[in-house]
Amino acid sequence: MFSNTQQMNNMVIDRKRFIKSLLITALFNTIIALFLTHLEYGKGFVINFIFSQCIGLSICTSILTGHLVLKNATALRHFFMILISMTMGTLFGSLMGVLIAGLPVAGIFQGKPALLFQLLGMGILFGSVITYFFFSQERISQVRAQMQEERIKRLDSEKQALEAHLKMLQAQIEPHFLFNSLSTVLSLVDTDREKAGRMLTDLIRYLRVSLSRTRAESTTIDQEMEMARAYLDIYQIRMGDRLQYRIQAEDGLKEAAIPPMLVQPLVENAVKHGLEPTVEGGLVTITACSVPQKIRITVTDTGKGLDETGDAGFGLMNIRERLHSLYGQEARVILEENSPSGLKATIEIPHGKHDGHYC
Amino acid sequence: MENTTAIIAEDEKELRNHLRSQLMAIWPELRIVGEARDGKEALELIERHKPHIAFLDIRMPGLSGMEVAQRVARSCRVVFVTAYDDYAVKAFENEAVDYLLKPVIRERLAKTVNRLKSRIGSSAPITPETLKGVERVLAGLAGQKGASHLRWIRVQQGGSLRLISVDEICYFKSSDKYTAVRTETGEYLIRKPIKDLIEELDPQIFWQIHRGTVVNIACISSVSRSLTGKGAIRLKNIPDSLTVSQPYMHLFKQM
Repeated sequence: MFSNTQQMNNMVIDRKRFIKSLLITALFNTIIALFLTHLEYGKGFVINFIFSQCIGLSICTSILTGHLVLKNATALRHFFMILISMTMGTLFGSLMGVLIAGLPVAGIFQGKPALLFQLLGMGILFGSVITYFFFSQERISQVRAQMQEERIKRLDSEKQALEAHLKMLQAQIEPHFLFNSLSTVLSLVDTDREKAGRMLTDLIRYLRVSLSRTRAESTTIDQEMEMARAYLDIYQIRMGDRLQYRIQAEDGLKEAAIPPMLVQPLVENAVKHGLEPTVEGGLVTITACSVPQKIRITVTDTGKGLDETGDAGFGLMNIRERLHSLYGQEARVILEENSPSGLKATIEIPHGKHDGHYC
Repeated sequence: MENTTAIIAEDEKELRNHLRSQLMAIWPELRIVGEARDGKEALELIERHKPHIAFLDIRMPGLSGMEVAQRVARSCRVVFVTAYDDYAVKAFENEAVDYLLKPVIRERLAKTVNRLKSRIGSSAPITPETLKGVERVLAGLAGQKGASHLRWIRVQQGGSLRLISVDEICYFKSSDKYTAVRTETGEYLIRKPIKDLIEELDPQIFWQIHRGTVVNIACISSVSRSLTGKGAIRLKNIPDSLTVSQPYMHLFKQM
């Protein structure tokens, strides 16, 4: 269910990182001790090693704890936290080093400048180098994670677009509709040949648009309205006077290109979920008009409406998914209750050109 | 012997006429005592005329053929009529329940009629086995539908009532007397208290993560735990973050 179990395991990673950071710091400490011994600083490698481990690990623990407590605080706060951690870490580490090495505590105040100040200077110097190392490591892994995330996002949206497209292709012609319409034609052949012929013509009109190959990518408002008209004509023969319809498309928009299967599923929903389940039937209204930078298409019915647990068909979800993958936030689908009854679905998609007046 | 009687329930006029004329041609002795345009009419006709057979379209306004059958299967023999390989057809087949596929073809109808004739002729119009068959089919279909969860949230916006699909909703959060509904594109207030929503929402999709918060798990981008044992949820596509209170953290235990 979760694609990001990696991130859900954050806590586990935190603990691992804690230990890993300490180990790396210990390694640095050893190098520092070797380095100082090489410079003939201090009283030999063992003492240098003890001091550098004590101080380094104290600073590291302090910084890591500080990060955990501050978490999402500002960068400035983190900076001060690191500075304080270095100072306190050096003081605490020096004291520990003195105790472990069995040296007199007073020893750290001797020397010129006092040993404590020497240690403080080195603590902050080496501490800064190591902190910088960790900081850039962190940055690199963050950038990597970000790239990974973006890649996943991109693949995700490509996959979604493909799935939505496939579903759309599968849903182009609903078998139920085809069989029911053919049944009607068959029954009309005996009783009303003229009507049977008209219905077959409507069915051919409908199939011609919906099966045309060029339509798979893009279609025009005019073509979509023609398809809706054919569909509604067929239903009008089947449902009799239980179905009325009205189509109003702005003249300037007739040739406007829109993705296929946006309008048709809404019309099918209006008939199948809106009007057909009611005994009285009702009216379906389709409009297409331009609003600033957008085309607005509405499909309204005066049917049953939706109850809160009702299924609105797969159509609406599919439309939303496809619009999202095609236009992002630029397009939207809205479903509203129509008054006094039924539903109103509105689609808005981007459209550059317009002929000067808006609806 | 009195004539066998039947009613036809089919919402489309042409199909009703067609089925009637076919039946009259194949089974002239059958007396069709009524025709219904929707489920409610069918129920009334069956109660009034007590026919031997009811031809019921599955998809009808008012009550579906299934719903009508559920109420009358004990008093008359039901023949379901359906346009396409409905999910029910397999069940009919398995339980030897009578059904017709539209368009109704003469040969197929003749077969059904013969079967009906042989059974109606016997003393008991409905054998216990066939009744059980119908009941099993109906029970199976009822089970298939499953519990119905909330799929739409009604929100007031301007002068209109918008319907928002629950799939669009990132989370619900209670605020005073209202519940805030957050989608990718906006936020709305509804009056339904969060504890009612929790009961009506699909628990496969919505998880309660706090006394006053319910989140759509499809919207979760990441979950992290703080030192205090609470969790912080980041969401996909919106910058909001949500708190998981300690009692609900077990939901996000490593799987």
